[in-house]
Amino acid sequence: MEYLYGLVIIVGLYVILATSFNLIIGYGGLVSIAHPVFFALGAYASAVLSRDFAVPVPLAMVAGALVALAASIALALPSLRVSGDYLLIASIGFQLGLLEVIKNLRFTGGSGGFSNIPPFLIRDVGRESYVGLVLVTMVAVILLVRWIARSDYGRAMSAMRDDELAFASIGRNAMWMKIAIFGFGSGIAGLAGALYAHYFRFVTPEQFELVQSAAILTMVVVGGMRTTWGPVVGALLLEALPQALTFLNFPPSILGPVQGLLFTGLVLVFMFFRPQGLVPAQDVWRGARKAGESR
Amino acid sequence: MASVLEVRGLNKSFGGIVVARNVDLTLHSGRVVGLIGPNGAGKTSLFNLISGVVKPDTGTVLLDGVPLDRLKFHQRIHRGLSRTWQHVRLFPSLPVIDNLLIATHDYPGAGLLNVLFGRGRLKAHDRIARAKATDILAAMGLAKVADALVSDLPYGQQKLVGVARALMGEAKCLLLDEPMAGVEGASYAAMQRIVREVAERGVAVCVVEHNVAFVRDLCDEGVFMFSGAIMARGSVAELVRDPQLTELYFGH
Repeated sequence: MEYLYGLVIIVGLYVILATSFNLIIGYGGLVSIAHPVFFALGAYASAVLSRDFAVPVPLAMVAGALVALAASIALALPSLRVSGDYLLIASIGFQLGLLEVIKNLRFTGGSGGFSNIPPFLIRDVGRESYVGLVLVTMVAVILLVRWIARSDYGRAMSAMRDDELAFASIGRNAMWMKIAIFGFGSGIAGLAGALYAHYFRFVTPEQFELVQSAAILTMVVVGGMRTTWGPVVGALLLEALPQALTFLNFPPSILGPVQGLLFTGLVLVFMFFRPQGLVPAQDVWRGARKAGESR
Repeated sequence: MASVLEVRGLNKSFGGIVVARNVDLTLHSGRVVGLIGPNGAGKTSLFNLISGVVKPDTGTVLLDGVPLDRLKFHQRIHRGLSRTWQHVRLFPSLPVIDNLLIATHDYPGAGLLNVLFGRGRLKAHDRIARAKATDILAAMGLAKVADALVSDLPYGQQKLVGVARALMGEAKCLLLDEPMAGVEGASYAAMQRIVREVAERGVAVCVVEHNVAFVRDLCDEGVFMFSGAIMARGSVAELVRDPQLTELYFGH
């Protein structure tokens, strides 16, 4: 049972990561590969605050999300001032650099990882309740992103993606919108990280490396960008595949690279044969309504 | 007759190509000025310099006496500048009405916090903006296509929607870049009427246009540009009659 709970939680967290990344790359049109590092920041911030500073776990989780949000704004602000393209380059540096920092700091446990993270709910209420917490958060994130995409904000995001210069010509500031989208999406990744930390109670920098960027990107692209269910389908599929791979009895030294190849291979195959992903997005903004229809 | 927009000593070159040569231009409230000249004369570039899409090398732009030079494009729009594009540039993923709803100066939906926590404000804005957009579309004879996708409209109607979108903000000065190119029939008459009405409300209007008949019928004054410089100004009929300008225009 414990294995199954762990699996459900992992899948749930990846659905959250893919959905929040869909907000950034799909709806916001912002290309970044730093999503795992915000996942890591949330996990580490919540772990350090609760274990070493005795902050209650729920508060530490919220703080973890806020740390990821603040860090993402610190990354986006200078790069988006130049242009959208620089965000990709800056995010690569941020992803690689920050993990090196975590590996070399004492209070994060260095490359050996950070252990003995205080558990939450597991001891007092039971593991099932933590599974419930993750699933409720997952559903809330899916619905929230869907709602934002169909709200007045979604209308603005659609227009911004269509034509940035025309967007400016009606007095809209694309840069601040991009920063808000990036910050919000990254904050959700931070929350997922905090949820990870207090269940598995051990985090190490290796878990958040570049292959995770590829995994999350693949989930969104294969599932279908700018759709509610695309990232969900993508996360389920991409988490099931490696689990299936483990039954093939590859030695561990091969298993990792095979997974990496699988992710990038899948992205290439889909880019060629089904660029819209498994769940295709509509060309028209979904929040549009006919005259007289009430919201 | 109050001056609304003042352009003083504007210069801009890209490498060896000069797009603005010491340009001075004043637009007055309620008057329509036609900017004419051959292709490559710098007419659209002048619009880009005024609106802040492109920064000038030297010179200044004042709106109601306030310099705009340090403001970005989108900030200038909030000060009361408004413009359209030669190639329309509507938002293809949005229906006509949504192209307009998003274009008010105070659209609250562009703020994530407003959307998450300010439902009341959003609804109130939506009501007002929808009424305004419906009025503008009705005035242009586009009421029936409010829910259509812009890409499904004929080009002439798309041009009208472009002007409608530019009118959703509180414009003091309206820059129209070739509003008539590709426009014919009912849309032609609608465009003429709308531009007149906008000017009568006190907006300063400047039109870049190759359609001489349209410019002559509509504009109070013509300004002739060539090679980045203003060569002449006066009544459109005078400018059109000037043999020297005709030569410049047709390049004989």
